Amino acid sequence: MEDKYITVSQLNRYLKFKFDQDPNLSHIFLKGEISNYKAHSRGHLYFTIKDETSRINAVMFYNQASKLNFTPEDGMKVMVTGRISIYEVTGGYQIYVEEMQQDGIGNLYIEYEKLKKKLEAEGLFDQAKKKPIPRFPETIGIITAPTGAAIKDILSTIKRRWPITKTILFPSLVQGASAAPDIVSQIKKASEYNLDLLIVGRGGGSIEDLWCFNDENVARALYECPIPVISAVGHEIDFTIADFVADLRAPTPTGAAEMAVPNQKDFYNYLNQVNLRLQKSIHQKIFDNLEKVKNLKNSYILKNPISIYEIKEQKFDTIYEKFQLVISSLLIKKKEDFNTKIEKIITSIKQNLEKNQNRYLLLINKLEVLNPLLTIKRGYTITRMNQNVITSIKDIKIKDKITVELTDGKIDATVNEINKN
Amino acid sequence: MANKEKELTFEENLEKLEEIVKKLENGNVPLDDAIENFNEAMKLAKTCDEKLKNAEEKVNKILNEDGKLEEFNIEE
Repeated sequence: MEDKYITVSQLNRYLKFKFDQDPNLSHIFLKGEISNYKAHSRGHLYFTIKDETSRINAVMFYNQASKLNFTPEDGMKVMVTGRISIYEVTGGYQIYVEEMQQDGIGNLYIEYEKLKKKLEAEGLFDQAKKKPIPRFPETIGIITAPTGAAIKDILSTIKRRWPITKTILFPSLVQGASAAPDIVSQIKKASEYNLDLLIVGRGGGSIEDLWCFNDENVARALYECPIPVISAVGHEIDFTIADFVADLRAPTPTGAAEMAVPNQKDFYNYLNQVNLRLQKSIHQKIFDNLEKVKNLKNSYILKNPISIYEIKEQKFDTIYEKFQLVISSLLIKKKEDFNTKIEKIITSIKQNLEKNQNRYLLLINKLEVLNPLLTIKRGYTITRMNQNVITSIKDIKIKDKITVELTDGKIDATVNEINKN
Repeated sequence: MANKEKELTFEENLEKLEEIVKKLENGNVPLDDAIENFNEAMKLAKTCDEKLKNAEEKVNKILNEDGKLEEFNIEE
């Protein structure tokens, strides 16, 4: 009989088994209000989730609890996911919470994440598309509520930092259902003005208050706006979609004004620095030139002007010597030429003379051959009559008086007989 | 065309000034040009200074519902 009885542990283990097997209980979505909230020092959270008539114990272990982006508190409406199981020790069933969001905002977050992914995929957040913020905007457009802290902060900050900037306020609703279309219409109006920069934003508020800055149409209007935009939505932790689309994100309206215009104090410092650099560079330039002049002054020539004269003297001497050398060498050459020519003439005359002498000798020899005296020497004589040389017997007749010439004298004779050969 | 040169904006003024300073710091400018540049730069710096100091006429405006710009003042 005793076998029919089971222990409490056995019962609780069995019930736990049943709970854990049930697919409906292994992943449930539950909403309610937190009460009896207790954060254990080891990081686990223990609380009750209730509605008007019922309650259930809940536990959220450290692993999941550490991922929460808000601090739960009693009375907070939440939406949780988790599983239902039994804690065997007490036999009490409870929900083991895996995720928890604040009710109401949770849906907005899902929408937000969806829109963020979509616009990011379309390239609306691309860094490359960001327009540069001008250094010194002359006119800034502001889209925000005409009353309240935001516009005040922006205008006073601009006035304090950079009083020469003009501003145009494009008043807009910044919370409630009409805010988003109002902002879109003002962005479009602002685009028609000659603005250097646009600040779009509002002061801090609850997440629902800021929600118009997560609107898709606002995001697209900002993206298409030809003017560089600084977003200025007063919140510090999360970014709105407008922040991602804007060319620059400021955490507050005051911050936006600080990013929009330079600080005159800084600028005066900068201007002073530029001035110093200017002075320094011109002084350097003048110093460099003075240095050059000094170096020239110190040069040997300018320090010893007499040396210029000395050097010229020396140069003159050198030139003079060269000149002399040239002249004398010219003279020598001319002389040599002259001598050569004279010699040539003499030689040629000599040669002529010799030639003529030879010819003369030759002539003499020839003449000697013809000289009749030489013939006579060999025994021949010349016979003349009345100075005419007789070369034939026909020229004379008997009894003619003739003269016979010999080498050493003459014989006068009379022809006695003529015999023909 | 024969009009006076258009007045430079604050930024153009400053950019010109910065350009001259860089040029002078480079050191390759002949002395005469350097002095001329220096004088021009001093004038530009003075203009920047004056523009910032003479900010009295600046007004804040608001676009009203008729689409017209009106003066906008906010008590501080």
